[in-house]
Amino acid sequence: MRSRKPAAMPPAIELRGLVYTVNGRTILQGIDLQVAPSEIVAIMGPSGCGKTTLLKCIAGLLRPTAGEVRIEGMEIGQLSERERMPLRLKLGIVFQHAALFDYLTVFENVAFGLMRHRKLSRGELERVVRERLAWVGLEGVEHLYPAQLSGGMRKRVGLARALALDPHIVLFDEPTSGLDPINAYQIDRLIRRLNSELGLTAVVVSHDVVSVFRTADRVLMMEAGQILVEGSPDAIRRCDHPHVQAFLQMASTERL
Amino acid sequence: MREELVWTDEGASEQPSLLRATLEFVGALWLLLIATLRGLFRGRFEGRECLHQMAFIGATSVPIVALTSSLAGAVITLYSTSLLLRVGGSGFVGGALSVAMTREIAPILTGIMVTARCGSAIAAQLGTMKITEQIDALRALGVSPIQYLVVPRLLASLVMFPLLGVVANFAGILGGLLIASALGVSAHVYFRSVQLFTEPFDLIGGLVKTLVFAVIVIMVCCQQGLGARGGAVGVGHATTRAVVLSMVLVFVANYFLADALFAKR
Repeated sequence: MRSRKPAAMPPAIELRGLVYTVNGRTILQGIDLQVAPSEIVAIMGPSGCGKTTLLKCIAGLLRPTAGEVRIEGMEIGQLSERERMPLRLKLGIVFQHAALFDYLTVFENVAFGLMRHRKLSRGELERVVRERLAWVGLEGVEHLYPAQLSGGMRKRVGLARALALDPHIVLFDEPTSGLDPINAYQIDRLIRRLNSELGLTAVVVSHDVVSVFRTADRVLMMEAGQILVEGSPDAIRRCDHPHVQAFLQMASTERL
Repeated sequence: MREELVWTDEGASEQPSLLRATLEFVGALWLLLIATLRGLFRGRFEGRECLHQMAFIGATSVPIVALTSSLAGAVITLYSTSLLLRVGGSGFVGGALSVAMTREIAPILTGIMVTARCGSAIAAQLGTMKITEQIDALRALGVSPIQYLVVPRLLASLVMFPLLGVVANFAGILGGLLIASALGVSAHVYFRSVQLFTEPFDLIGGLVKTLVFAVIVIMVCCQQGLGARGGAVGVGHATTRAVVLSMVLVFVANYFLADALFAKR
């Protein structure tokens, strides 16, 4: 069922000794990570531990202070902004608050990258945009502006926009934060489905334990800019590291 | 060249000294200017965005530029006419105003009014886009924020500022005419004087000034917007700084341009 790529493929994402320092504060202190093609990796950890910074380094939006970032075998860490532009198209990013262009309609948001990087006729453009919106379960909202949408719908439009250019890898920044359980469940299912149907590699940054355990193939726990433990969801559940246990217990549904 | 230094928070100090803040500002402005000039000739032309900005910066600024410059023309004429009539110099009324208008008042008022109206809006829009990650979203979609946001605004301004300057000249001279005729100078004498004392170079020099002001206003406001940090308060600070710095730099540039263009004439 899962379209695994042959073993000769380089890892979709490879980080070696990634360090990120800003204004004298070290946010990431030597992260090593490999993500295989078609794998879903979740990065968990308390707020401020460097999850989003890590995601932005992978996306090439932040330049690492030291270390390597390889996307499908290609080192992007030290490339200039201009050189990185085409490489960014291999990746889609779903931002925490969707980051939709608020002066454009839903249609124009999803069509934004297509209009600039693909030569499509008006008809084809409309077809692709409608298809992407259908993937995320949105129809008939093309003409609305982001301000007219609910939080969950905005996130799904953000996902449709990220998927427009057929990226191999999608990075999710808190895809379920601020959503009700039903919307959160739908987003999780969507991530799973895109993975199984399109073979999409996904890196999900989240502190929503429930959502992480039902989507991820592998879970990383981060703390203070370092990876504390990593393993399958089951292994993480059984892990006896006190920080991991504290994190999981606080997220449990037991009555106080 | 690290054009991303324009919007990244990397390397920017949290509480910089005045000297350091000035150097950071000049550095970021310089980087942005170089990247924008490069984008002007090399990158994708954003026609639709450019038209939008021409309408916003140009067309919708016409009323306010016309109003303020006609009032400026009127008030100068009010003083100069009463003075000149006392020494029998009604033939100088139009000329005095038109020289002041074309060389100084029209370009300055264009720069100041567009800064107040559009510069502030540009800084606020780009600042909001920065703090809501829309700038990162652009980059993630393989679109340079400089190419998409800054270049069209600069192009639109380079076209519209001189046109607004022409509007300001007409409005100012008409405002002067209104007051002059009320004080007893005939329209014929007024226009004869305008013709006699204004040289084509006064008008051209004034419009050259507006081109320089266009670059200053757009670069400063875009740089401040893209450099905004820290939420709604940050956008507010960026907008204030954008307007203040633009206006101060317009006046500073005006002095040196006046010296270079008109001092020896």
